[in-house]
Amino acid sequence: MSTPLLERIAGEHAAIEGRFPPTAAARARRRRALDTLLAVGLPTTRDENWRYANLRPLERMRFAPAVDGASPIDTAPPIDVASLPASVPGFVRYVFVDGIFVPGASSAGRAQLASTVQVSMGPPALAPASAFALLNEAFATDGLRIEVAPGESPRDTGASARIEVVFVASASAQSSTTGDPQGASYPRLSINVGPRARLEVIERHLSARDEPSFIDSWVDVHALEGSTVEHYRIQQLGPRALWIDTLAAKVARSAVYRLHAFALGAQSARSTLGVRLEGEDAELALHAVAAADRAQVLDTHAVVEHAAPRTRTDELFRGVAAGRARVAFNGKVIVQPGSHGADSSQSLRGLLAGAEAEIDVRPQLEIYTDDVRCSHGATAGKLDEAMLFYLLSRGIDRDTARRLLKWAFLEDVVSKVSVAELRRQIEASLAGRLQETEALKELL
Amino acid sequence: MLAIHDLHVSAGGTAVLRGLTLEVPTGEVHAIMGPNGSGKSTLAYVLAGRPGYEVTRGSVTYDGRDLLSLPPEDRARLGVFLGFQYPVEIPGVNNVYLLKAALNALRKQRGEAEVDAFEFLALIREKMKVMRMEESFLSRGVNEGFSGGEKKRNEILQMLVLEPRLAILDETDSGLDIDALKIVAEGVNRLRSHERSIVLVTHYQRLLDHVIPDKVHVLVRGRIVKSGDRSLALELESRGYDWLAGEAA
Repeated sequence: MSTPLLERIAGEHAAIEGRFPPTAAARARRRRALDTLLAVGLPTTRDENWRYANLRPLERMRFAPAVDGASPIDTAPPIDVASLPASVPGFVRYVFVDGIFVPGASSAGRAQLASTVQVSMGPPALAPASAFALLNEAFATDGLRIEVAPGESPRDTGASARIEVVFVASASAQSSTTGDPQGASYPRLSINVGPRARLEVIERHLSARDEPSFIDSWVDVHALEGSTVEHYRIQQLGPRALWIDTLAAKVARSAVYRLHAFALGAQSARSTLGVRLEGEDAELALHAVAAADRAQVLDTHAVVEHAAPRTRTDELFRGVAAGRARVAFNGKVIVQPGSHGADSSQSLRGLLAGAEAEIDVRPQLEIYTDDVRCSHGATAGKLDEAMLFYLLSRGIDRDTARRLLKWAFLEDVVSKVSVAELRRQIEASLAGRLQETEALKELL
Repeated sequence: MLAIHDLHVSAGGTAVLRGLTLEVPTGEVHAIMGPNGSGKSTLAYVLAGRPGYEVTRGSVTYDGRDLLSLPPEDRARLGVFLGFQYPVEIPGVNNVYLLKAALNALRKQRGEAEVDAFEFLALIREKMKVMRMEESFLSRGVNEGFSGGEKKRNEILQMLVLEPRLAILDETDSGLDIDALKIVAEGVNRLRSHERSIVLVTHYQRLLDHVIPDKVHVLVRGRIVKSGDRSLALELESRGYDWLAGEAA
């Protein structure tokens, strides 16, 4: 398969290949990823699973990384550390700018890393799960690898490893005449949690400047037998950023993976999530929020595969679209043969808060086993008139009542964030956004 | 305080209220009784300003103002309170937050400062005691997971905190067991005063055993067909509504 876009990717890759860090293994892996990508091609909006995403900006983007890892930026972080969100108590912070680790902005320097965390590009625990993950693999030069050693005690009694990863996008991915670095940003995170161990990880995606950045992130998570992983993802990129994200997770026997995803920023964001419950009694909680306004496009495509008996999924999505924004959540659940006793519940709800806004929530079920419990509910609509009238009848003004109801709609998911400081930060961002939405005097 | 004159209201193209005339003087408690479908709840909603009803003729004045020209939030701030027959659940909006926001909206209207957080909590706790509500109420969402009886008690709790000038209670007694009925009645009685009017909309007279009305009106097919004192309620209890059906024709 060859398209002008793929040819450009191959060309940009060839031009900088010599500047990548010269380990043979990494080079071979990068090469393989590129070859596979060129063979499978990039998706387009004609693909059923990509119809809601906005891929057009890709045509204007530069694919070579803004920083190729050879530049010595370790000493002076190119960002204002004070502008980063407040640290969450108890979490060790790692900051990456345009995909490259910046020790000066992190609470742990490259040399003093905890034994379980490595800033490196070791082989991923899982194979790239999408064309964009391949793109990341072909271009990324740095990344964070979290290995949590096996826990000694049974699940839920040991102490958690607590790590925060902040991926900051700074460079423009479009040609400009300034001397600033240009190019894409390839955040890479690989998580491997040993048997019975516990990990709490916060993953943030932010912009340092209002640039048309291109961020292609690739995250893989491997939760081994009896482990517990609490994964918080907060996407608050700038208003001109294009974020394309791939996350693949495997959950082993009796392990619990809880993914809390908050999509708030970017011009256009697409998250492709794939979770495979591959051991008996493995459990997934996928709790996602998307809040969009202006002409933002926030699209999530989640596939959950039940591949073992008594596996459980609890999927919640709450999306608010104001202005001319588009919010989509496609949640597919597959129950493989032999996965008897599987239990899956999906509650996907969208709230239209703008006359020209669009919401698409779609649960999909593919069941190949008898003896399963699968429930799903999906709604998209405006604010509940009965609720609105109830608040008005108590003297609360219309703007406040609407804001309150939008807030309440999302609070369902936000309240499940158990890290208090993080929840406070998320609530503050959401409150700010809902306020801003009101200021635009949108019709409801 | 409240004067309704020749009120005609339709909902979804169907005439529901057909020439209703009623006066509730300040300081009185009036009961409006009637069979199902007579227009009782429509009257309550129209007074509170719920959308979806079309007033085709007539007027409603409250303290000399044209009530129907005001949006619901303004009515509430001027002291009109509706106790809902079916209070909605609003998960994610905390009970205390709602009460505080509502009370502050009233205070703002009256040119008063926002309520002090500690005083407010003390006030709620005092009223919760009257309504025998559990402490956990404070941390829950509005009516979230409440039983029918708890929802009704919450309506009265809100009324006690907001101290309206005109309270309209729509079937507040329905779905209550006898203990809950007594608690609700006690709440209503506490609010009785010579400065305040209360309209009790009800199907049965059992609430009126505990809250003694000054007047009882019978609503049949969208009009008041008979008015009287408390004994009228007792008569309805023994004879039903059928004997009044002819009067509405």
